Amino acid sequence: MDFLGTTSLGLLRAVPVTVLLFLASALGASLVAAVLVAMQQARVTQGLARAWIFVFRGTPLLLQIFMVYYGIAALGPIRHGFLWPAFREPLFCAWLAMTCCCSAYIAEVLRGALGAIPVGQIEAALACGMGRWTRLRLIVAPQVLRLALPAYGNELVMMIKSTSLASSITVLDVTGVAQQVIAHSYRTLDVFCLAAAVYLGMTAALTAVLRRIERSLDPLGSAPR
Amino acid sequence: MDAELSVPALLGLGADGWGWALMAGAGLTLAVALAAMAIGSMLGAALAAAEASRRVWLVRIAATYGLVMRGVPELLVVLLLYFGAPGMLAGVAGLFGLPAPGSPPAFLTGSLAIGLVSAAYQAEVFRGGMLAVPRGQIEAAMAAGMGPVARLRRVILPQVLHHVLPPLGNIWQFNLKDSALVSITGLAELMRVSLVAAGSTRRPFVFFAAAMVLYLILTSASSALFRMIERRGSRWAGGR
Amino acid sequence: MIRVAGLALLLLLAACHPRAPEGARELVIGTEGLYPPWNFTRADGRLDGFEPDYMRDLCARLHRRCRMVAMDWDGMVGALQTGKIDLIADAVQITPERAAVLWFSRPYALTTGVIATLRDSPLAGLPDRGAMMDFDRHGPDLDARIGRLRKGLSGKVVGVELSGAFDNFLNQSIGPHVTIRYYRTMGERDLDLLNGRIDATLEDESYIRPLLATRDGAALALAGPRMIGGSMGRGEALAFRPGDAALHDAFDGAIAATLADGTVRRLGLKWFRMDATPPVAGKLR
Repeated sequence: MDFLGTTSLGLLRAVPVTVLLFLASALGASLVAAVLVAMQQARVTQGLARAWIFVFRGTPLLLQIFMVYYGIAALGPIRHGFLWPAFREPLFCAWLAMTCCCSAYIAEVLRGALGAIPVGQIEAALACGMGRWTRLRLIVAPQVLRLALPAYGNELVMMIKSTSLASSITVLDVTGVAQQVIAHSYRTLDVFCLAAAVYLGMTAALTAVLRRIERSLDPLGSAPR
Repeated sequence: MDAELSVPALLGLGADGWGWALMAGAGLTLAVALAAMAIGSMLGAALAAAEASRRVWLVRIAATYGLVMRGVPELLVVLLLYFGAPGMLAGVAGLFGLPAPGSPPAFLTGSLAIGLVSAAYQAEVFRGGMLAVPRGQIEAAMAAGMGPVARLRRVILPQVLHHVLPPLGNIWQFNLKDSALVSITGLAELMRVSLVAAGSTRRPFVFFAAAMVLYLILTSASSALFRMIERRGSRWAGGR
Repeated sequence: MIRVAGLALLLLLAACHPRAPEGARELVIGTEGLYPPWNFTRADGRLDGFEPDYMRDLCARLHRRCRMVAMDWDGMVGALQTGKIDLIADAVQITPERAAVLWFSRPYALTTGVIATLRDSPLAGLPDRGAMMDFDRHGPDLDARIGRLRKGLSGKVVGVELSGAFDNFLNQSIGPHVTIRYYRTMGERDLDLLNGRIDATLEDESYIRPLLATRDGAALALAGPRMIGGSMGRGEALAFRPGDAALHDAFDGAIAATLADGTVRRLGLKWFRMDATPPVAGKLR
């Protein structure tokens, strides 16, 4: 039982790494996703946004992480350029790959929500003489937020799980520590089950927070469930 | 082993080229995803049925399964099964007083792991699909004298498929990408081959880029295929 | 709901226990397939190297059908314990820690651990260059060398393969003053050594020497002492499930024959360009 105790403690001590990676990636990915959606509105930048989404949704995140960490970092301009101090850090590379990958998924969620806003509302806003920014601030953004929230929340849960892939490039997150403990103790099953419990706790907490936000954003107070 | 090879030679089909290995890896990736999809469909349908049943314990088991599988990283599920499967098999066999069976090959454990995760998501899709057919229609079909087979073929399936195909296509894409996690079991699928090639030639950019292109071919080809099936499906749903 | 999940976890834990089926069936040999020149995977997927050659020879002597499967080292001991594989042939160093969970054959090779670093790294000037450090020969001389090594490596980032012999050595002898990075495969570690993410690696000379001869390896240099004994290990051996006496003894006999008739010497010259035959010593379990 002593082994399980120290292992649990070790895993819990790695939770901040996982949470930090998750929060930073969620922030980065959401910002990039907003930019991608904006780019899709203009004809000139549409192609680039589409290509971005195509590549990052069409390949595994694990491969993208390896590509950033080993592939891109080994290129001359990166290896010998001013960006190296950042690319040198595995946590940064994991963050960069996750930001790029998840931005593509979140952009699709936002685009879907944007398409769900009735055209009539926009026309009405135009008729009222609202400018572009007022329209975005008062009509579009609040509705996109509310409409996108369930799917966006799903993406966030996926992201917290995806942070475990960072362990494959030497990041000592919860999964990384679990693998290290196993390597030194050869006790595979119980350590992985403990790690699974830690993740289950994190995703459950996130889901609870999301549900609360969802409920508070619902104007009629009748959100499902 | 030689770092001086050019990119075409590295990716070529010659003796020192990794072209064949990468393509075989892509084939294995496809096979893992297909097996995972099949496992996930069977288990997913069973879970959806369990959740729709009147037995509380069945509903609870199905709900707990979904909760755990959707809350735990896929990587952990793969690792858990890869390391734990032989022991679990022996344990199950022991319950029935049988000798421990041999350990399952990496392909089986890998696709089972991805399939177990896939099942949780597919169950949700099936549950939604079952709600797609209003009770009244089934009653009407019965009143019209349709047998169970005709009901399934003419009334239920066309509508359920119409509802279920787009999200299933999504899950298939996830299976395809999740299969990369099976690389940690040493199975020579696309991710593993590119990692081995990158390490032993020390040209990571070339091989990870090649693997990305192959994954893109797999994902875009299969999404085109799904779109085609969907078009046919909606023709059926349109009531020809 | 939580209680159901807990029960499922408990069942999972309870179900995991080792077993030992036996018979004249095919033997499954675990190897990494990523550790040249001991064992590596060719572009066509074929396993090649010292161990594939050597195991073919041993299995022929024992009249057993054998199959080598490639898997990462971090899963290999687990695979052996759960019966996924019957033995390990992966340049496994005999260390006291491993002897507690594995049964070792007699060694079929003896090589030393070395430190590799970038040629232009400050670590290239580590003291005791080329000197032999034997961790089984305790004394003031060894303590002084460990002290100098600890001082030289302190504050540096050292990369090792997860749960390899060098991982244990770093944890025990060099202590908390170095940052250890763990890698799943050698190739990944080599890439990070070459691009400077890690300052040095501890690795077997049989792996590093051929690497130094490649174009990329020219940027690397050996630094500091050569190491042997203790948690570093004393020779490479086959590893078996504890209690699998029949298999262990059969292979022990076959290894003795290959040591005596020059097979090991011949294969060593072929793959390592050196004779790695261990000196005749007492049997190590």
